[in-house]
Amino acid sequence: MLKMEDVSFAYENNDSGRNLTDINLSVDKGEVILLCGESGCGKTTITRFLNGLIPNFFNGNREGNVYLKNESISEMPIYEISRHMGSVFQNPKTQFFNVDTTSELVFGCENLSMSVDEIKKRLDSVVKDFNITHLLDKNIFKLSGGEKQKIACASVSAVFPDILVLDEPSSNLDSQSSWDFEEIIKKWKQQGKTVIIAEHKLFFLSDVVDRVIFLENGKIAKEWSIEEFKNIDHRSFGLRQIDLDNLTCKRNEYYSQNREFLQLRNFKFRYGDTQVLDIDDVKIPKNEIIAVIGKNGAGKSTFANCLCGLKKSCKGELICDGAVLNRKDRLKKTYMVMQDVNHQLFTESVLDEVLLSMDEEDVNLAEDILENLNLIHLKDAHPMALSGGEKQRVAIASAIASKKEILIFDEPTSGLDLKNMMRVSENLKYLQNLGITSFIITHDFELICESCSHIIHLDDGKIIDNYNVDDKKLRDFFLNQ
Amino acid sequence: MGLKLNFNLDPRTKIIILAVLSFMVFNDASLYVSSILVLIPCICLFFSNHKKSAAIYVACYILAKLIQIYILPNATGFMAIVLITFSYTVSRMLPILMMGYYTISTTKVSEFIASMENSSIPRSIVIPVSVVFRYIPSLIEEIRSLTNAMKMRGFGLNVKSLKNPLKLIEFYMVPMLISAVKTADELSAASLTRGLSNPEPRTHLIEVELTKMDYTFLAITCIGFGIYAYNFLRGVLIA
Amino acid sequence: MSERLNVKDLITVGIFSVIIIVLIFIFGMLGYIPMVMLALPILAALICGIPYMLFLTRVSKFGMVTLLGVIIGIVMFLSGHTWVPIVTFTVCALIADIILKMGNYSSIKNSIISHGVFILGIMGNMLPFFILRDAYMSAMRASMGNDYVNVIAPYLQTNFLIVLIILTFIAGLISAYIGKIVLKKHFERAGIA
Repeated sequence: MLKMEDVSFAYENNDSGRNLTDINLSVDKGEVILLCGESGCGKTTITRFLNGLIPNFFNGNREGNVYLKNESISEMPIYEISRHMGSVFQNPKTQFFNVDTTSELVFGCENLSMSVDEIKKRLDSVVKDFNITHLLDKNIFKLSGGEKQKIACASVSAVFPDILVLDEPSSNLDSQSSWDFEEIIKKWKQQGKTVIIAEHKLFFLSDVVDRVIFLENGKIAKEWSIEEFKNIDHRSFGLRQIDLDNLTCKRNEYYSQNREFLQLRNFKFRYGDTQVLDIDDVKIPKNEIIAVIGKNGAGKSTFANCLCGLKKSCKGELICDGAVLNRKDRLKKTYMVMQDVNHQLFTESVLDEVLLSMDEEDVNLAEDILENLNLIHLKDAHPMALSGGEKQRVAIASAIASKKEILIFDEPTSGLDLKNMMRVSENLKYLQNLGITSFIITHDFELICESCSHIIHLDDGKIIDNYNVDDKKLRDFFLNQ
Repeated sequence: MGLKLNFNLDPRTKIIILAVLSFMVFNDASLYVSSILVLIPCICLFFSNHKKSAAIYVACYILAKLIQIYILPNATGFMAIVLITFSYTVSRMLPILMMGYYTISTTKVSEFIASMENSSIPRSIVIPVSVVFRYIPSLIEEIRSLTNAMKMRGFGLNVKSLKNPLKLIEFYMVPMLISAVKTADELSAASLTRGLSNPEPRTHLIEVELTKMDYTFLAITCIGFGIYAYNFLRGVLIA
Repeated sequence: MSERLNVKDLITVGIFSVIIIVLIFIFGMLGYIPMVMLALPILAALICGIPYMLFLTRVSKFGMVTLLGVIIGIVMFLSGHTWVPIVTFTVCALIADIILKMGNYSSIKNSIISHGVFILGIMGNMLPFFILRDAYMSAMRASMGNDYVNVIAPYLQTNFLIVLIILTFIAGLISAYIGKIVLKKHFERAGIA
C-alpha cells in the first residue's frame, strides 16, 4: 500500500545534519502503525512525506522514493494524493478552513469537485459513522477540543481515503476524548483503512495498533509488534506509558509540614445564563502541587481565570496567611502559565523577559533564576526561538522574578514526550521548594503521579472532590471509559 | 420557530444593496427620498432575528434627523460640533454600517464562498476573503489572551504601561504577528492536504440562487436609488 | 519561481489582511473623537508598517501586495465603508507592488517607499470627514461669521487633503523603517522572517 525506500531528508535552513536518514518502511493495507520516539526524532517528517507536504510545501534536500499503491508520490500533485490520504494535525486551531462544522465536513469533497449528490451521500454517512448529528451547523471555534478533533477526523473521512495520517492528534484531548479517539481509529480499522499515527501519548492506543516503529535521530531504531511493545520498558526508550494501570502516585505525603491552607470563598462566575463556576468555600493545602482535574467544560479554565483575578465579575476572595485577597490583589500574587505560552513572552531576549517582571531590575538575581531553571545558556536568545519546554521555563522564570506566590499551569504537558514531561515535574518541585503553591490543570495521569500531592476535582463548575492523591479515585477518573 | 418567516437574502443581493447604499453617503438627500433606502437595512435586520438592532438603528436615525432639523440651526460653538458629528455620522454612515453588519452577521462563510464562485470571481480573491472571515475570530481570541497575559504581568491600563505606549504596542504586535505567520503556514499545509490546490472548479453543497425575495429587494433598492439619483441630478442641473 | 500565486500565498494574504484591518479598526475607533479623526490615516500609517514589512518577507512575486490591497478594500466595503476603499486600496497597492518589483522584491529602500504608497489607500476611509466637513463649515459660518469661514475654507478643502496625504506618506515611511527594525530585533531572531 505504502512504501518508503531509502528516504533521507534535510529541511532547508537546517544546518545540523539530516532530519531523516535511510528510512525503509512498508505498510500493508489495513494496518495501524504507530510512530513514536522523542520530540524531534523525525515522526512528523515521515508523516509529511506520506501526505505529500514534502515536497509540495516543505522544501529541502530529499533522497529516496515514496510509493503509494506502486506509484511514486513525488510525481503526484498534492490534490491527487489527497484523494487517497487524509491528514489530521495536532493543532485544532489551525487545521480548519471554515467557520461552521458542516462546511468543514464537506470542504475536502468540494475541493475535489465531487457532485452535490455525492457530497450529500458522504456527509450523511460520515455523520452517522461518527455520531455527530448534534455537532452539525455549529461554530467550530465554540466546540471543545475533543469535538474539534472529531470534526477534523470526520471531515477527512468524508473524502473516503484509504489511508489516514495522524500527526499527534491527541495532544489537546482529555482522557475521555482520547478514548473516543480510539473508537474512531477502530472504526477506520474495521473499514479496512490503513492508519499511520505519530504520537507521544500512548495509553489509548494499546488495543488498536498493530505495529510500532520507534525512531531515534531520524532513523528507524526499533520495530515491534504490539504484543512485544506492551512488554518493553517504555521509560528506557523515553516513551510514555501505554498502560496506565501500572501507574501509582509517588507523592502521597504532603510536602509542607505545618499544614497551612489557602481558603477560597465565593468563587462564582456566570456566562450568560449558565453558572460555569460555583464554589462557596473551600480549603486547599498551601505550598503543595495541586492537580485540577475534570472533564472538558467542567469549569477548569474559568476556575484558573478567576483565581488569577482575570474575570472582573467574579467577586471571590482568597484567604492566604490571614490576608483576604480580592481580585486586584490576586493579579499581583498569582500567575498563570498558559497553554499557548507564546502569548506571554513579549521581549527580545530571555534575560529581558525576566528583568521586565522585576520591580527593580537586578541582573544578578535574574541570572540566578535562569541558572536554576537551566536557561542561563539561552539568556540572550529570543524567547520565540526556543522550544516549547524552554518557553515554558522562561514563563516560570518571569513568575519567580515577579515574586508570585501562586502559579497556575494550564495543561503544561500537552504534546510533550517523557523527557520533557519529567522536566516539567522537576520544575514544579523546584517551585515548591521556593514556597510556591502550584495549581495544575491537567489531563496527564503520569504527570499527576510524578508530582502532585493534592487533587481538586471539578464537575459542572462545582468542586465535587478535594483530596490527598489517591490511586483508586484517580484511576477511576482516568481509566473509566 | 415554526412560525418564523424564512427570511434569507442571497449574498449577492446583500452586496448589491450595500454598494447602492454607498452612494447615499456622498450627498444629503431630502428625508422622504432617502427614507426608502434607509429602511432597507432596518427591514432586513428586523426579519432576521436582529429586532433589537433594527429598533436601535431606527431610533438613532430619527433622533439624528430631528437634531438636524430642529436643533442644529440654533446650535453654536462646541455643542454644534458634537451635534454635527453625531447627527451626520448617524444619518449618512449608519445605514450602510447597519447594512454591513447585516451582511456579515447573517451570511454564512460557505454561502458567501459559493455565491462568489458561482459569479466566477477568481480564486485568488475567494480564498483570501474566506481566510479573512475564518481568522478574525481567532485573532480576537488571541488579542484577549494577550491582554490577560499582560494583566498578569502588571501591564494594563495603568501608569506603568501608559508611560511607554510604544512598548505596549510592541508587546501586542510581536506575539500576534508571530502567531499569524504560524497560522498562515499551518493552515496552508492543512488546506493543501485537503485538496484546495485542485485546479478544477470546486463544487458546493450549499446552493445559492436568487429567489423572489431577492428580486423584490433588488427592485425596491433600484427604485429608491432611481428617485434618489433623479433628485440629485436635478439638484445639480438647477445649481 | 512561478509567477502564479499558490495556495500558501493566498492564505498568507488573507491572514495579513486581517491583521491590518483589525489594526485600522482599533485605531479607527479613536476616529470618532472629532479632532482625532483627521489624524486617523497618520495613526494607521504609523502602526501598519510592522505587519507590512513582515508580510514582505513572504512576498517574492508580483500580485501579492496588490491582492492584499484588494482584499482589505473588499472587507472595508463589506463592513460598511462604501466601495471607495476598494478603489483607493487597489490603486495604491498596485503602485506599491510596481515599486517593489522595480526593486526586485529585495530592495529595502523600495520596500519602505512602497509602504508609504500602500497605506495611502486608507484615504478611502476618510469619507466621513469629507461628509462632515460641509456640515462643520455651515455651523462655523453660523457661529463665527462668513469672513472667518471664507478665509479658512480653502485650506479645509484641497490643501488640507494634500497635507494629509503627504503626512500620511511620511508616517508610512517612518513606520516601515520601524518595521524594518522590529523585523531585525524580533522576527529574524525568532526565526520567522
